[in-house]
Amino acid sequence: MPFREPYLGWLITGVKLTFLIAAVTSILSLIVGTILAIMRSSRFKFLNIPAKVYVEIVRNIPGLFWLLFFYFVFPQILPFGLTDTLNRYTYYSVIAGILGLTVDNSAYVSDIVRTGLLSVPRGHIEAAVSTGLNRFQQIRYVILPVAFRTILPPLGTRMIHNFKNSSLCMAIAAPELTWATQQVESITFRGLEVTFLATVFYIGISLTLAVIMIRLERWLKIDVTSITQMRT
Amino acid sequence: MEFLLEQLANWKFYLIGAYPKGQLTGLTLNIVLAVLSIIIGLFFGILFGLGRTSCRRYLRHPCGLYVDVIRSTPLLLIIFWFYFFLPVVGAKMPLFWCAVISLSVYASAYQAEIVRAGILAVPMGQMEAALSTGMTRYQAVKLIILPQAFKKMLPSFVSFFNSLFKSTSIVYIVGIIDLTRTGVIISQRQPNRIYAAYFCMALGFWISCYMLSLASQILEKKLGILDYESYKPEICREDLVLLPLPKTVKRFLITQK
Repeated sequence: MPFREPYLGWLITGVKLTFLIAAVTSILSLIVGTILAIMRSSRFKFLNIPAKVYVEIVRNIPGLFWLLFFYFVFPQILPFGLTDTLNRYTYYSVIAGILGLTVDNSAYVSDIVRTGLLSVPRGHIEAAVSTGLNRFQQIRYVILPVAFRTILPPLGTRMIHNFKNSSLCMAIAAPELTWATQQVESITFRGLEVTFLATVFYIGISLTLAVIMIRLERWLKIDVTSITQMRT
Repeated sequence: MEFLLEQLANWKFYLIGAYPKGQLTGLTLNIVLAVLSIIIGLFFGILFGLGRTSCRRYLRHPCGLYVDVIRSTPLLLIIFWFYFFLPVVGAKMPLFWCAVISLSVYASAYQAEIVRAGILAVPMGQMEAALSTGMTRYQAVKLIILPQAFKKMLPSFVSFFNSLFKSTSIVYIVGIIDLTRTGVIISQRQPNRIYAAYFCMALGFWISCYMLSLASQILEKKLGILDYESYKPEICREDLVLLPLPKTVKRFLITQK
């Protein structure tokens, strides 16, 4: 009996944490990535250059490094009292995992969003200027909605990638699914079965996310023909 | 600052470890892993990519299934599979070859996607023209389609090599002493030099990846862009046919507008 009481419980906690890490990092990296992309496409140098440097540094260093960095090095940079409280907190590894994955993913997201921003036709922005929107309103109401629709497929791929990357949190002992499987393996020596379960879970969730992204794309598509028909 | 210089002074440890006398470790191991797995992965990637674009259903569907399954499994789990499975089957292998096999399985799926994208980017007329001049299908693919497709695939190959090189750092988890493990070992032995050790580790990865990304940018400028990531969502509509689902669900998913 490979899955008596504690083991299934570990796996379920692992699944919960995997979902939590994936969801939080996706949302955070989407926010950070969008801000970075807007900064990168700005004409002010003090916004432009830091974002560029950040993306260039993060994109060329593996994600695992960031996880290890936030787990081992980051608490030492902080002032001592804060480090102490952090280390006393049991789930610091989860926080480190979320931070590391966000840093890693946000650079890629910002690259994707930037291509979306560049793909917005010049005429849209001119039209927005001529209707009297200010710079923030232009970005919020005209540029971003169009840009996000064009970048939805690569963004979805990136988020699925991020979901798969959450398995790396095992390296810093965040108790998510892969870590739980290793824990079960080290006690019961049934590595195959547990790894099989984890693989099925990851494949299932990735495919489900892919299907959701396809549906979402079709749902969000602006129906150009109906707009032109309305005008005439 | 002097800690940093001290770390940079034992560059040999980060780059090759104790190679001529002992094991090969450090950054060179990452490079060897990445190069070996991309070469093996390229061979299988071309096979699977050609299989995916084949018009024969018994070739296309298994290849598609393989690619989708591998692409939706985390690399870490693929490594674990070979780590646990090879001993069960009876093949006792050094850890290094385990890593090479799992990385090349991973690479082959992604490269099959790149190859497929490249082949689909070649205009349909080329194949028809080749067939109408009396070539066999094998000749047409080998002499006409693949050379053109390769030219289009080259930039995305380089950028995939970049991401694969970064992924090789994952072998840290199963205990292979690559650059990441080297840095962690040094930082654990000398806790007061932790910043310098991590900095050197990051520097090693950054320099090599930056070179690669520069190369891919130059290639993209010369040959035109074909982004393997944005070419297709993780699973495309026709692949859904493969899933073992009831027909009504499939019809719901595949409905055309």
